[in-house]
Parts: sequence; structure tokens; C-alpha cells
Amino acid sequence: MGIDKETTRQEDKETWCDPVSPCLPVSPSPCLAMRGREFSATAWLCIGLVGVAAFVGCGKADPPQFRLNMMNVVAKQVAPQHQQAIANILGAMFGTPDKPYAMPETGLDQKKLNMAAGPVWSDQAGEDHGLYRRHCAHCHGISGDGHGPTADILNPYPRDYRPGVFKFKSTYTSAEPTEADLLRIVHDGIPGTAMPSFALLPPDQRAALVEYVKYLSIRGEMEKALEDYVADNLDPGDKFDPASNAETKKLILDDMLKPIVEAWQTAKDQVIVPDEKSIPPDNRTVAQIADSADKGRELFYGTQANCVKCHGPTALGDGQQDDYSDWNKATHDFIQATNAKLAEMEALRKDLTKAKGDDAEHIKEQIRSTQKEYKEREAVIATLLPPRHAIPRNLREGILRGGRRPIDIFWRISAGIRGMPMPASGPAAPGAPGTLTQEQIWQLVDYVQSLPFEPASQPLKKGPVNSSAVSTGE
Amino acid sequence: MKHFWALVFLMVPVCGVLTFIIAPHYNVWFPKDISANGHVIDHLFMFILWLTGIIFVATEGALFYFAWKYNARSNPEPVKFSHGSHTLEVVWTILPAVTLLFIAIYQMNAWADAKMRRPHIPVTAEITGRQFNWDVRYPGKDGVLHTPDDIVRTDGDIHFPSGEEVLLIIKSQDVLHSFFLPNIRLKQDVVPGMDQYMWFKVPEPAVVDIVCAELCGWGHYKMQGRATFEPRPAFDEWLSQKYTEQESHRVAEAPIQ
Repeated sequence: MGIDKETTRQEDKETWCDPVSPCLPVSPSPCLAMRGREFSATAWLCIGLVGVAAFVGCGKADPPQFRLNMMNVVAKQVAPQHQQAIANILGAMFGTPDKPYAMPETGLDQKKLNMAAGPVWSDQAGEDHGLYRRHCAHCHGISGDGHGPTADILNPYPRDYRPGVFKFKSTYTSAEPTEADLLRIVHDGIPGTAMPSFALLPPDQRAALVEYVKYLSIRGEMEKALEDYVADNLDPGDKFDPASNAETKKLILDDMLKPIVEAWQTAKDQVIVPDEKSIPPDNRTVAQIADSADKGRELFYGTQANCVKCHGPTALGDGQQDDYSDWNKATHDFIQATNAKLAEMEALRKDLTKAKGDDAEHIKEQIRSTQKEYKEREAVIATLLPPRHAIPRNLREGILRGGRRPIDIFWRISAGIRGMPMPASGPAAPGAPGTLTQEQIWQLVDYVQSLPFEPASQPLKKGPVNSSAVSTGE
Repeated sequence: MKHFWALVFLMVPVCGVLTFIIAPHYNVWFPKDISANGHVIDHLFMFILWLTGIIFVATEGALFYFAWKYNARSNPEPVKFSHGSHTLEVVWTILPAVTLLFIAIYQMNAWADAKMRRPHIPVTAEITGRQFNWDVRYPGKDGVLHTPDDIVRTDGDIHFPSGEEVLLIIKSQDVLHSFFLPNIRLKQDVVPGMDQYMWFKVPEPAVVDIVCAELCGWGHYKMQGRATFEPRPAFDEWLSQKYTEQESHRVAEAPIQ
């Protein structure tokens, strides 16, 4: 650049400095401090930096990292050194988003994880790599926190895998989903949401993605277990290092990891299998189905099943609409607790006006620590998705997110929808008593299936055609 | 170099024509046409391509000729502007107008076939675009949509019968989409709250892509599907298989995908 040092003007400096900002570290660029004649030396240094930054800094972004669940960390007031310790332990157990590690104790498949993880690229044979980041991460996030860059504009929000809670599954209420359940969601998508179908991917890629979702869930559940343990059992000064302490290691592997992994591995034994005797025969007449649906209708409005409470007397989902899902409830509660801190500080300040001497000092200290926690909480809230109410399904649209097969609807009613206000009407575990019998659940299934075809639902059936010039085919 | 600009402008028609000559060899030309009527669209495209191509080469050639002949170095005299010729103005207004009018009339039948002359047959399927998936609803045994025996699929694997006319209703659940079958040369924008119709015939069995051709949001690129065309018996067999699957009451009947 042929800029004479006598004629250097403010604009020149600005144009030189601006492109730097995205590349250089946060420290202010030296260019900004220059004036007139001092320009040359610093300016050339600056150009050099731009050049170096352009080649080194901009080309390569830092590899993405798993982030701790700050909502839990702050809510539980986990000390900074313990946060670091937890991050280290998780790193040793699960690796990084670029290099995931399938710890033998987790029973995860390393090959599948490698296929799903890492940056997006295709090799010369045309094989795709980095499947999770290619297909999922922009909604579900690198850490599986359901807060990728596109999450804010979605309704419903993408699933946060970390609590290990899944809605559409074949198992008893509190059990994890089976592999087949997750595969089905990946294959069919979730109608009525932004979750598309990935049926066009080869089966091994879908299986790899499901394995990675399990991996993120187990990692998230493990993180919560660690944070809760540290917060409940250790003082901020205590050491938490499984590498140097066999007891800690045993605690982590046997008391924390094992139950989490077991829940996933035993999911397939938790599938709700309807009793063969309860299943309606295939060759029912229209009248028989209508009769069963009528009984289902009675249950729908009855106090025993009480579907009407949320789905509304019209079944349009216009009943109780101010409930929360578990995920939104957690955010909602966190915000409520943060607001409570504000009230707490107010009360302390009032006390301070009356207090004297040591008492006053003590209260001042309390105010300081409350204020610190409040600030931390506010910073976390700024990163959270604003909580939304769980709106019960409009059953007249015929869009059933968890699948439209009778068995899907049976599972939904029997086990409820985990993480949602929808309660289980069947048994909570094999052999336990349920609110409804299986026969009654099948009657409800018939009623739910008949709802979109009632005359009251039918106006949705047909839309206007774009032009009268189009001859009507009918 | 006194002919620098002349040569630069010569590169425009040369590169332009070259692009079209080599494109088919690098597989960046049209996708294979599998439909009975797609050749009409292709013919229109080629006709207009040749028409505009010839005019393009001719005008670019004239531009090159003038730039070569009247380059600044050999012609120190400044240009004299005239106030134009009435005859010329009329000619170059009427010629394009007639050409455009000709194209407008020439394509009318193709347009009417593709968008106006809807066949009087029952609807084969209803396609619903949603952010970001193509869902399909088949009318089932009774041939009527929105009855309990409908077959609804959300996996983007859409089957149609080959060797016969297919009529689709296209809808949107949320925003503007466009149902695009490149191999059939058909594209239909979808407007929320409206029913759009689309019809075509694919003589031979084939498997082709479905894409969304209207930017519908951040996940627009995810809105793909696969259209499988198969003879009527195979299509009916597939439908009844999907119907059985949809009716499953038992765990064992629910296949693992």
C-alpha cells in the first residue's frame, strides 16, 4: 500500500484496523492509538499483524468444546475449581466434540461415535463425516443442549439431550427410549415441529447419529450427577480428583455412571407390550370401531382419564395451557429463583439500615455474596431460551408428533409423555396398577384416531384453489 | 495494445458459448427427463436458448467489430453523436416486440398443459410442505382424502404409480414452499391456506429427487425427498404395506427403520 506518511489521515487508519478485529485476540488493536507522524512504525507492525492474523488466525477457528450446563452450575453454586475438575473428568470420560471417547463402561460404540462426531467434511470416496454437526448441531447444539444457533426461532424448541429425557418412546414413563424409538424419530421426523425426516440417509449414518445422541445424553446426565454431588457434598476448598483418589474414581464410575448407563441399556426390557387379549381385532366393522370410539369419548370427558382438562372440551388443545415442560420449567424456576435473589437483597438492605457494628458487617457481606450470585444468574439467563408454556395437542388436526399408529397412541396414553404435563394412564412399571385398563386405553386410541374425521374437524380438509380458470377435477 | 478492449469483449461470447458446449460433458446440464411431457419444456428451453444464443453472438460480434475498428489509438478523431434514425428505432423496437409476442404465444399450450388443463382423475396424493419436510397423504382404499383409511407418511420417501397420469394436491402448513421435481420439469409454489394442483405422467419406473425450490427458512436445504415411480401393482402393494404398518397395534409389527 502506497500511503505516504505525510498524508495519512484518520480514514486510512480506520480502514486498516477494521478488518483486523474479527481475527485478532480481544486486546485493542495498536492502530487505534496512533496519530499523525507516529504512524509509520506502528502502522507497518499493524499491517504485519493483519497479514499474520489473516493467514493464521482467521483460517482456523478453535475446535468446538463441550460447555458445562451453567444453569445447574450457578444454581448449585459449584466453585470455579470444581467446575474445572468436572470439565476435566468429563473430558477424560467422554473426550471432545472432535474426538469423542466411548468409555468401555458406557457401552457406547466408538466407531459409530467417530462417524457422527467431528467437523463436517467428505473424503475422496464421497463418504460424509461429521454427521452430527452437518445435520443436527445447528438446532441441538454442540453439547446437545438444544440451543444451537437456529434454536431461538423454533417452536417447539429443539430437544435438550442432557437430562436424558425423551418424549416419544415405547417404554414405561421414567425409562429411557430404546434404540428403535430414537431411530424411528430420526427416520420419520416429528410432524408438527421443525424436526425433519432423515430417511434419505443410509441406515448406518442414522444409527451413528442415534449413538451420538445417546452419548450426549449420558454425558449430560453424568455432568449433572457430578455437579450435584460436588455441590451437596464438598466444600469449595476440597479436592475432587479421581486420578489421584481411588475412592473418588470408584464413586464416579460405580455410583454415578453405572445407574445412568444401566437405564439406557435396560430400556429395551422396559417396552410396554399391550396384552394380546386387550388388542382390538383387525377385522372390526366400522360400527364396532365407532362403538369403541364412543367409549373412548366417555373416558376423554370422564374424571378417570380426564383428558378434557388439558386437551379441552373441544379437543382443540384449549384446556389448561399454562403448564411447562420439564425443560422450560427448569428455566422458568431458575428465573424465578433469580428474581427471588433480588427481593432477598432488598430485604437485607432494609435490615442494614437498622443493624449496627458486627451485625452490619455481616449483612453487608451477605448482600455482596447475594449480589454476586444474582449477577452470575443474570448472565446465565441471558444465554437461555425464554421459557414457553406447554400447549396441549390439538387432536383434531390429525398431526400426532410421536407417530400416528395405534401402538404409538397407546404408548403415549399409557406412559404419558415424559418431561411433559401429559400424565401416564397406564402402569408406571411392569405389573403395577394403572389408572386405566389396557382395554380402556385402546378405546381412547380409537377416539383419538376418529377425532380428525368428525364433522367439526372437517373445515380444515380443503383449501381454496388459486384460480377459477382451473377446471375442477371433481 | 490497441485492440485490448475489442479482445476483452470478444471473450464474452466466446466464454458464453463455450460454457454451453462443455456443460453437458461435465454433467452440469439438465437432469434426466423421465416424464411424458417434460420434452415440451426442454424444447421450449432449447428453442429460446438458440434464439437468444444467435442474437447474443450476433450482437456481441457487432460489438467486437466496432471496438476493433474504432479503437482509440487508430481513431484520434472524437466520436460524433447523431440524434438517431427514426427508421432504426422503429425496427429495433418492433423486432424484439414481435419476438417476445411470438414466444408468448408459442408457449401457451405448454403452459396450459402444465398448469391449467387439470385431468379429471381422482387425486393420487396430497403433499404438505412444512418447515422442513414434505409430508404425504394418500387417500387409501376409498379414494377420498381425509378419511380414516388415509395413509400418511412423513419420511420423504414418496411413491407414485408409473405409466399413468398422477394428480397431486400440494399444500403448505406454514410458509411458502415450492414442490420441485427436476426430472419431470415441474415446479409448483405452495401458498399456505391454498390447494395447488400438479399433474404429470411418468412412463417408466424411476427414482428421482424432490426438492424445495422456494427459500422457506434456514432449513430450506433439508427439505428433500425421494420420489419413486413404480408400476401400479407394485405401487398398490407398497401402499397396502404402509397401511398395514400404520395400523400396527403390536410392538412386533412396528418395524425398526
